[in-house]
Amino acid sequence: MTAMQKVVSEIRSFHLFLRILIVLVTAGLFAAIARFAFGLGATTNLNDVYPWGLWISFDVVTSVPLAAGAFVLGAIVHCFNIKKLEPLVRPAIVTGFLGYSLVCLGLLLDLGQPHRGWHVFAYPNLHSPMFEVALCVMSYTTVALLEFLAPVFEKFGFHLPLRFLRTLELPLIVLGAAIATLHQSTIGTFFLIAVDKLHNLWYNPILPLLFWISAVFTGMCIIIIEAVMVHRYLDQPDETDLLATLTRIIPWFLGIYLVLKIFALFYLSERPLFDRPVLTTLFAIEMIAGIIIPFIMFLHKRIRTDGVLQLRAAGLVVMFGLVLNRFNVSMFGMIQENQQIYYPSVIESIVTIGIIAAHILFFAVIARYFPIFEHHSEDANNAIEDGFHSTHEQVVPEKI
Amino acid sequence: MTNHWIDLKNSDCIMAIGCNPAENHPISFKWIEAAVDRGAKLISVDPRYTRTASKANIYASIRPGTDIAFLGGLINYALTKDLIHKEYVRDYTNASFIVNEGFNFKEGMFDHWDDREKAYDVKAWTYSADDSGKALRDGTLKHPRCVFQLLKKHYSRYDVDTVVKVTGTNKFDYLRVAETFCGTGQPGKVGTILYAMGITQSTHGVQNVRAVAMLQMLLGNMGIAGGGVNALRGESNVQGSTDYGLLFHTLPGYLPSPEYKDETLETAIARYFPKTKESKSTNWWQNGGKYMVSLLKAWWGENATAENDFCYNYLPRRNGNHSYLQIIKKMIEGKLEGLVCMGMNPAVGGPDSLRAREGLGNLKWLVTADLWETETSIFWKRPGANPKDIRTEVFMLPAAASMEKEGSISNSGRWTQWRYTAVEPLGNAKSDLWILDQFHHHIKNLYKKESGIFPDPIVKLAWNYGTGHEPDVHKVAKEINGYFTRDTEIVDKDKTLEFKKGDQVPSFVQLQDDGSTVSGCWIYSGSYTSKGNMMARRDPNDLPNGLGMYPGWAWSWPVNRRILYNRASVDKTGKPFDPKRPVIAWNASEKKWEGDVPDGGAPPVEDEKGVYPFIMVPEGVGRLFALTMKDGPFPEHYEPIESPMKNPLSKVQSNPCAEVGTNVTCDLNRFPCIGTTYRMTEHWQAGAMTRSLPWLVELVPDMFVEISQALANEKDIRNGDRVTVVTERGSIEGFALVTFRMQPFVVNGVSIEQVGMPWHFGYAGLATGDSANVLTSGAQSPSSSIPEFKAFLCNIFKGGKGA
Amino acid sequence: MSTERDLSNQRTFLIDLTKCTGCRACQVACKQWNQMEAEKTSFFEGEGYQNPATLSEYTLTTIQFKDYFHEGKNEFSFYKAMCMHCNDPACVSVCPVSAFIKTPEGPVIYDTKRCIGCRFCMIACPFGIPRYQWSKALPLVVKCNGCYSRVKEGLKPACAKACPTAIEYGGRQEMIDEAKRRLAVNPGRYMNRIYGLEEAGGTSVLYLSAVPFDDIGFRNVTRRPLPSRTWAALRFVPTAFITMGGSLAFISWLTHRKEKIRREKEMKEVERASQKGDRS
Ligand SMILES: Nc1nc2c(c(=O)[nH]1)N[C@H]1C(S)=C(S)[C@@H](COP(=O)(O)OP(=O)(O)OC[C@H]3O[C@@H](n4cnc5c(=O)[nH]c(N)nc54)[C@H](O)[C@@H]3O)O[C@H]1N2
Ligand SMILES: Nc1nc2c(c(=O)[nH]1)N[C@H]1C(S)=C(S)[C@@H](COP(=O)(O)OP(=O)(O)OC[C@H]3O[C@@H](n4cnc5c(=O)[nH]c(N)nc54)[C@H](O)[C@@H]3O)O[C@H]1N2
Ligand code: SF4
Ligand code: SF4
Ligand code: SF4
Ligand code: SF4
Ligand code: SF4
Ligand SMILES: [Mo]
Repeated sequence: MTAMQKVVSEIRSFHLFLRILIVLVTAGLFAAIARFAFGLGATTNLNDVYPWGLWISFDVVTSVPLAAGAFVLGAIVHCFNIKKLEPLVRPAIVTGFLGYSLVCLGLLLDLGQPHRGWHVFAYPNLHSPMFEVALCVMSYTTVALLEFLAPVFEKFGFHLPLRFLRTLELPLIVLGAAIATLHQSTIGTFFLIAVDKLHNLWYNPILPLLFWISAVFTGMCIIIIEAVMVHRYLDQPDETDLLATLTRIIPWFLGIYLVLKIFALFYLSERPLFDRPVLTTLFAIEMIAGIIIPFIMFLHKRIRTDGVLQLRAAGLVVMFGLVLNRFNVSMFGMIQENQQIYYPSVIESIVTIGIIAAHILFFAVIARYFPIFEHHSEDANNAIEDGFHSTHEQVVPEKI
Repeated sequence: MTNHWIDLKNSDCIMAIGCNPAENHPISFKWIEAAVDRGAKLISVDPRYTRTASKANIYASIRPGTDIAFLGGLINYALTKDLIHKEYVRDYTNASFIVNEGFNFKEGMFDHWDDREKAYDVKAWTYSADDSGKALRDGTLKHPRCVFQLLKKHYSRYDVDTVVKVTGTNKFDYLRVAETFCGTGQPGKVGTILYAMGITQSTHGVQNVRAVAMLQMLLGNMGIAGGGVNALRGESNVQGSTDYGLLFHTLPGYLPSPEYKDETLETAIARYFPKTKESKSTNWWQNGGKYMVSLLKAWWGENATAENDFCYNYLPRRNGNHSYLQIIKKMIEGKLEGLVCMGMNPAVGGPDSLRAREGLGNLKWLVTADLWETETSIFWKRPGANPKDIRTEVFMLPAAASMEKEGSISNSGRWTQWRYTAVEPLGNAKSDLWILDQFHHHIKNLYKKESGIFPDPIVKLAWNYGTGHEPDVHKVAKEINGYFTRDTEIVDKDKTLEFKKGDQVPSFVQLQDDGSTVSGCWIYSGSYTSKGNMMARRDPNDLPNGLGMYPGWAWSWPVNRRILYNRASVDKTGKPFDPKRPVIAWNASEKKWEGDVPDGGAPPVEDEKGVYPFIMVPEGVGRLFALTMKDGPFPEHYEPIESPMKNPLSKVQSNPCAEVGTNVTCDLNRFPCIGTTYRMTEHWQAGAMTRSLPWLVELVPDMFVEISQALANEKDIRNGDRVTVVTERGSIEGFALVTFRMQPFVVNGVSIEQVGMPWHFGYAGLATGDSANVLTSGAQSPSSSIPEFKAFLCNIFKGGKGA
Repeated sequence: MSTERDLSNQRTFLIDLTKCTGCRACQVACKQWNQMEAEKTSFFEGEGYQNPATLSEYTLTTIQFKDYFHEGKNEFSFYKAMCMHCNDPACVSVCPVSAFIKTPEGPVIYDTKRCIGCRFCMIACPFGIPRYQWSKALPLVVKCNGCYSRVKEGLKPACAKACPTAIEYGGRQEMIDEAKRRLAVNPGRYMNRIYGLEEAGGTSVLYLSAVPFDDIGFRNVTRRPLPSRTWAALRFVPTAFITMGGSLAFISWLTHRKEKIRREKEMKEVERASQKGDRS
């Protein structure tokens, strides 16, 4: 059997859902090729009125906080040393890593001169939020990569680099968390320049802080969703009670967010606030469905400890609290009165769908081939225990 | 222009009537704005709300073709409200002259009308004179037959209510114009009138201009800084070309071209340059003979001698009208063998152009010398024409553009500025001078070889412009200035001046009628003297009076005078009427004038050697009553040939002297709207020069038609729709531009819509479109033969010609 | 981004719209000097003789026509849209590769060789000036560069040079004084406002108008320099980094120390237990 055939038969063995994903990803791939072949003008609905569209709004502004689970959980587990959550760390790291790689891809897609990406480091401009984010995203992706390498090395049983990585683990986590804090908030800083453009409902000087906080609780919600999903679809153990610990932390952040938001609205924002019905509605949905309701839900022990309800609450937060918020800030809230409306072109949409599909697909595939759900403390010897068709005999490292 | 562009800044009130300087003379606005900054008022009188109107303090809308009513109303307002400049009117115009019984005005007609000839006997209108032939005057201006009283009587009919009934102007606006402009009648206040095609392109265009001049004289605004009658000339060098005798009835320097009956030089001179009986009148034209002879010497050089009347009989002696339209008419009738269009595009520029385009097909040959392929040069493949049916042989000579050749150019202010070659001509384009030079050589040789009926005028032509590849333009300029053909002594007052053969003449004062001087265009003598090329001077210093005359910058005819009739800017003792703006002033102690070059060096009127200010007319004073106007001594309102209404002022509908032309109609059922044509900044004329420049095409890419909101609603037309405009002559298509800037006129209580359109489009070049001139008629003014481009009847429909 | 810089001598446009005749010499001169392609237009795009509709990758300046009826009077107004050459330009501050530079002479120029095409400048510009080459496969930003190549040589910008009436060009203070002078001597003629004096923290293009600025297409723009807004947040980046990193590091040190102690305790107990066992 040739390698090719191997791959094919392997893919045949995939769950139908995965195979659909593969199709979507390939579609996205072709769309992306088209974009480079014919240019942004021809393939997107972007124009001088809407220089930024779906790709920035979703692939960057939204994806980054969605990938925040990694640093949040990393910090919780390793820094606050809440060990029992550890089983969730690796999946989170993987999503983080995937998320960020795809963000980089999204950015490149959106640049008019992608081949000049390196200019950002050649001619840095410290005053540019874009520079800061670019820098962070790059370095964080590297960090995420290093973290991600752990399961990879395990799979192939590269022990020395593995140990080396292990010693690095904590510093990396800390570094990652710090960097993440910066760019998660700086994406908010992007829009501080859009005075007179971004509507007062969203424009306020603490936008960056709000972005960071929302990234944090979104990160945790993502983990919840992820855990529940893999439990259901990749038949991994049910982590509901583990998650309950998270759900106890989330409302705190939601609460702080709510307070700050209201404070900003009444003390830091320009007027008028509620002059545009559509925006007011969007804002209302974002706040009520995305923050207040989940906040209340998470306050109830019953919900906190019930898998399904956890999922619902978390889902709300992600869907409305975050996604809608990021779109409101980066798109809807920027639309001026009686200005033509932007909607993404087919190619833009296909690319974005492809990216989402890729995210899920790769996660599933990685989950399938790499040890990201084995639970064991850092000092466990995985060389033998690894369930996968593993390496030849090894020297067992003596216990500490 | 009696004044000049920069002088606009000195005005207190600028009335732009029948012109749109913001769009058609953009640079003039620099000086208009300068005046406005000083608090001057800008008035725009125009049927459309133009870009000029948008800058004006007062905008008055006017129905096309009714300017005499408008201006007559102002004259009446000034007279009845006693706003005129009395001293000026009494001493410097013919207001006090007594008119003989030959003149009378009844029901819209003057006396001495010859209905067969369709003309007045102009000679019947004269001053009453004493036995010596000197005109009788009444300094009190009370005499019932004095010009002033006749004027008053004539314009008493032009009361404000009648006027606005005719012009459709809003009464409130009209009164503001009247107060503001007539306010410049008092000494120390000055107003200027700018006009152009809105005034001239009419069957009574020349009378329009007369009305302007009369108003300015009554208000004492002639000869004054910031005043004057200022025609904003058109083509970049149209001033020069008219100065050099472009028109069929003039020779260079506005010398009359002889008519059939002027058999000898002597009789011609006697007829055209009469002596005057007025002791104090300079009557400069009495020198006409000298200029005529010097011109003949320039043309036939050595061959022109006293014995042979200086070759006077080589001059063609015309009978009748040979203006543009008559030529085209001949062409249409197949009576023209060939046509040379040098910098002209009649297929787009002339009225009733469908006929003209057909007419071109009757030519044996057509030569176009142009920068571009024009509608005229490709008339044989125009839309709808079948090249196979057209026999005309067409030659296209590529011409060099102004920046590709050296020479002089004269602007509206009579400044002649020397230009240098900036870039070499493209391809094998040649200067017009080169082209004409080649014509000359070949035609001369042909006549030499094959003789012909009357070869001498050509064969004996003097042509001393060097032997280079291209005629030496400096030699041409020197000949125009004039030089001595032999050593000469000239006694000038106290001193005698000596000149050697070949010396340049210092000015036309030295030109002689004995053949001792040559001058190609007397008004330009002084432009290229022994001191060198005056037109090339670039001294940026102004006179002490700070009026922006810049006497050391270029050169302006005559004799570098910057403001014509400037002797009228001072009182009889030589003191400026307006001390703030002294154009010239008499320095009694040194017995000389200071400031601008005075209109003749003689001392002020009061001095026993003093003379009257208006030196070009025998009377020496301005003519409120014109003796030689074909269509009457006073401008009288007549309707345009195609008019939407009966003339409310008299039973005479339109100018009785006008050439009506063919296929015109006043059928309001078929053509209920007024049509008018005009220019816009973004395009130039027939369009050859701009419709092929992408940057300009981008600004105005398509033919369009401007109409009012009301008309649009009535015809169910939306902005940007295709529409068709129809007249008796033809129909064209364009985009509808529905705008507030077009408003219907309420005349005699009824509302009449107008349809406005640029005439810049045609079928050649990058941006093509239908030509407005398909619609216009050949009706023309009796005195200037200009077509009535600005007022005709039309109708408009939604949809293209298909519809 | 310091606004304390002395700007009084920055080359500045004073565009007096009460003197603008809408002749569009500026628009054409700009295309000629910068050798910009003509746009394919049809009829007119907008009010009056408007063409092209707005600034674009081919057009750095346009005259914006307004043709309306107001209190029984016609209004036909012309507004020259172009880069404002802000004293403290948002475009300069947000560009990640410093492709925009505020020159000492005043013009804000753009370096085509650096741009990565992220279009942040377009989001940032409060006047909506930078345009993008949507027609190109590898697009760049396009914007009025204030004719820097001319200004460097002491010449006026092409549009200012071509303008017969409306554009003065000189030191910023000089232009401000001139504008104030005009407002003073001719109050009736003008709106009592100099657009650009404070907009976006002040610009090197100043406008005077006879009609309300909002009526003829001017944007209402904040007075405060925009970069100061983002900078207010970016200032904290290093601090945030250190505090976050530092605190996390400290916390984990604490928690892991606790952990270690716990473990050692456990060990000891285990040993003790085993010793006991030996005895028996
Ligand atoms: N950009 C540009 N400039 C040009 C030219 C060009 O083609 N393009 N052409 C040049 C030439 S050759 C010439 S002759 C000049 C002509 O310069 P203008 O005379 O200014 O040009 P027009 O637009 O033909 O007419 C001026 C105005 O007269 C108005 N009008 C029409 N009928 C009447 C009327 O009965 N009474 C009054 N009071 N106004 C009326 C029209 O609405 C128009 O606004 O422009 C010269 N300058
Ligand atoms: N309906 C309507 N018709 C009008 C008018 C109007 O107001 N309404 N206006 C009338 C007026 S005022 C005028 S002046 C006429 C103008 O009518 P035309 O003179 O027929 O029109 P232009 O386009 O000015 O023609 C000038 C030509 O000269 C060419 N040219 C430019 N420079 C040179 C040069 O150096 N040498 C040579 N050999 N050629 C050169 C140009 O390319 C252009 O083709 O149109 C008249 N027609
Ligand atoms: S086109 Fe030439 S002549 Fe006419 S206004 Fe402009 S500069 Fe003067
Ligand atoms: S106007 Fe916009 S593009 Fe121009 S300098 Fe200011 S911010 Fe930059
Ligand atoms: S598009 Fe180019 S110039 Fe604009 S911000 Fe991005 S890199 Fe800078
Ligand atoms: S300054 Fe230069 S680039 Fe800017 S609009 Fe004027 S001409 Fe165009
Ligand atoms: S050139 Fe001057 S007057 Fe003409 S449109 Fe431009 S700014 Fe206005
Ligand atoms: Mo003309």
